[in-house]
Amino acid sequence: MFPLPKEDKMVSPYFVFYLIHAMQIGVGILGFERVIVQSAGYSSWIAILTSGASIIGLIWVSYRILNKGNNDIVAIHADIMGKWIGGFFSFLFSLYFFAFALVVLRSYVEVLQVWVFPEVSEWIFVLIIIFLSYSYVTGGFRVVTGVSYLGILYGLPLLLVKFYPLQYADYGNLLPILNASPAQLFKASKEMTLNFLGFETLFMFYPFIKDGPKSEKWAYFGVLFSIFIYLLTAFVTFVYFNQEQLKGTIWATLTLWKIVDLIIVERFEYIGISVWFFTILPNICIGLWCASRGLNRLFPVTQRNALRIFCLLLFFISILLTDRQQIDVLQKAVSQMGLYTIYFYLPCLLVLQYIIMKVKKG
Amino acid sequence: MGFFKSKLKRFNRDNKQKKNENSEHELRIDELLHRCKESTDFVSYRYSESSPFYIHYYQTIVEINILHQYVLPYINENKSNTLFDLQQAIPIDNTEIIDNVHEIRDKLLTGCIVIEVKGSLQEALVISAVSLEKRPVSMPEVEYSVVGPKEAFVESIDANINLVRKRLPIPDLIVEEVKIGSLTKTRVAVLYIKGVTDEENVNTILQRLNDIQFDQIVDSSFINQIISDNHKSPFPQLIDTERPDRVASVLSEGKITILVDGSPHALTGPTTLVEFFSAFEDYYLSWHIASIFRLVRLFAVFFSVLSTSLYVAVLTYHYEMIPENLLNPLIASRSGIPFPPILEAIILELTIELLREAGARLPTKIGQTIGIVGGIVIGTAAVQAGLTSNVLLIIVALAALASFTTPVYQMGNTIRLIRFPFLITAQLWGLLGVTFCFSYILSHLLKMSSLGRPYLAPVYPLRLADLRDSLFRLPFFMQTKRPLQVRSPVRTRFQPKKHEKSKIDIED
Repeated sequence: MFPLPKEDKMVSPYFVFYLIHAMQIGVGILGFERVIVQSAGYSSWIAILTSGASIIGLIWVSYRILNKGNNDIVAIHADIMGKWIGGFFSFLFSLYFFAFALVVLRSYVEVLQVWVFPEVSEWIFVLIIIFLSYSYVTGGFRVVTGVSYLGILYGLPLLLVKFYPLQYADYGNLLPILNASPAQLFKASKEMTLNFLGFETLFMFYPFIKDGPKSEKWAYFGVLFSIFIYLLTAFVTFVYFNQEQLKGTIWATLTLWKIVDLIIVERFEYIGISVWFFTILPNICIGLWCASRGLNRLFPVTQRNALRIFCLLLFFISILLTDRQQIDVLQKAVSQMGLYTIYFYLPCLLVLQYIIMKVKKG
Repeated sequence: MGFFKSKLKRFNRDNKQKKNENSEHELRIDELLHRCKESTDFVSYRYSESSPFYIHYYQTIVEINILHQYVLPYINENKSNTLFDLQQAIPIDNTEIIDNVHEIRDKLLTGCIVIEVKGSLQEALVISAVSLEKRPVSMPEVEYSVVGPKEAFVESIDANINLVRKRLPIPDLIVEEVKIGSLTKTRVAVLYIKGVTDEENVNTILQRLNDIQFDQIVDSSFINQIISDNHKSPFPQLIDTERPDRVASVLSEGKITILVDGSPHALTGPTTLVEFFSAFEDYYLSWHIASIFRLVRLFAVFFSVLSTSLYVAVLTYHYEMIPENLLNPLIASRSGIPFPPILEAIILELTIELLREAGARLPTKIGQTIGIVGGIVIGTAAVQAGLTSNVLLIIVALAALASFTTPVYQMGNTIRLIRFPFLITAQLWGLLGVTFCFSYILSHLLKMSSLGRPYLAPVYPLRLADLRDSLFRLPFFMQTKRPLQVRSPVRTRFQPKKHEKSKIDIED
């Protein structure tokens, strides 16, 4: 009922590293520092570690489910809960991936409007980015993997410019090291987890990995690398800004790009935001690919048509969201959805799968 | 024995030609001769009143000395009246008695002398006496190299195969020939080394060649365009080269070469994007230098594609990006210019294209003049007239120069073409536009393949082993494996000798 993909459509296990990492680094990293600092002050770097650790645990859970089901989430749902209930949950997953792409796209366009082109209306950028994503997703999963891999390669040089703010660093900002209550840290961890969302796409592309179980370690490496990037970013931001100043800075990382002073470039943030597009693009592409693939598995519709439907939806919903408040509401809603999915739904699914497999065998 | 062999050959060939025969069946030999006689260069006569033999040939494609020295005297001496006896008597190999009129016609048209005996309607003796005009092997002009062999392919396919075969004197070098083109009947040869090349690749190429439905194949570039994986792409998908040394090396890597009669360019594939930026001279230089040259070329590509569009983007939208000390010279050079940057850039880019096109069409000697006129007179005059800025002139000229560093001509053209979309998007959305355009081209490249193999390899899919000879070239002793890209059944090229690095003291 749910056939596995052909061998020539698959990618090597180590690409899971890039896929997971690409999904976790998105728009959030441009301004996550303020959010966690509001909860736990400058001790919130611990929250990055704790929430990262919890994600590693959840990836372990995911691989247990996937290795046993040996297919994507749609097939696993159908196995466990039957055609209708399972299909309903799979449909929700599909919508969730779509919402993920929507949030990333809309937030990036917002950054563009605020920082680069205040006078250009958003639908132009939305349209172009959707067009580009469409041209990638129609290439299939291998092309989507390619863009996440190349996107990370292009994005990496941006880490080098973190050196510039360090010249004005005040390392005393970090002291005292532990200056937050467990409750505060928990709240910060919860907020930090939102940035790590996106690894759930694993549930959709797992069958496309050659020798899926082998890719598990690469998934861990991907998360570890994300944790490293977030820690580095937080560290540079914390030593540059003082706490009060940071609380008033929405896009701390973007602001830090202003400090960069190259011989031939005065204002680096324009280059930074342009290059950042290659980090955003994989998020939208993987999101759209997963959503359209889910729809294709559930309904008698080709993946191309499913993709077209989602692209249209993406366009109209994006231009309906006009102000900051609406984008914020959407962001919050999607993150809540993601949070409950990974922390409650996934462990439940593991248990349920275990029980039902036992019963079926018996 | 030889007779039987030729009979067997004939049988095979008959089978092949059955299709043709069905379409125009029952061609009689006298009808054929009648048709041929419409051309004035067709010669047809009876040797003498007493002789039973009729001789037919096209005098323009036959080496007349062969007829005079080795055929006519024996017809004179031979008292027998059969073609078989004549065939025995004539001291030339490769003669055949053929009873298939279509085959006789093909032979006649490819430079054979046909001898017919009186009374026989279907049989004829065919003697090969081809005389083909060809120029001698000359210097490579498109892919010139300072060191290394100075031979280049010519228009004759036999001479070209000769140039390759003398470099690879092994029986495993297989030449498979097909005839393509309903009018031109062009000989197309597929060369590969058996056991080293992936059979699937060979079959793909042969399949695609056999599927070609076209009336004329005049040059190898026709084949290149027809059998390419992605017809909508401006990127060439097979490398064309005029260097036999490059072909020999590529063949031993496990790739396939296509040679076309009448074309001094060979096609090789499957290939990757980075291979288009490797000149064969890289292998003749030491690996450090070759690697640096390759990186320079790669930089040149990016510079050529992006520099003008970045200029337009920065000056149109992001002038805050210009650092203070650069501001002065820029303002000084742009202050009097009446056009916006985009117009200025397009005018200059088009001028350069104009000069290039004029230089390519004109004979070499006048071409040099064009270079001087374009470079010095027009450039200086444009700046002095205040139509363009000095800075942009420098950028555009450098970008044009950079685009010529690409060793494969077809790729150089593509690079010059794709900077125009970049210019337009830069005008529309600044740096972001450049990014958008770049990512669109990236999506195109990611989807592309050459003979079904990924085009962006070894970068994506990442093949670390292949990186040894792509963006840079590591020394030969590290190139022990064939590239993964070609899927060769024998990956090892040679067994590296263990370098005995025993600890020798300074003065030992």
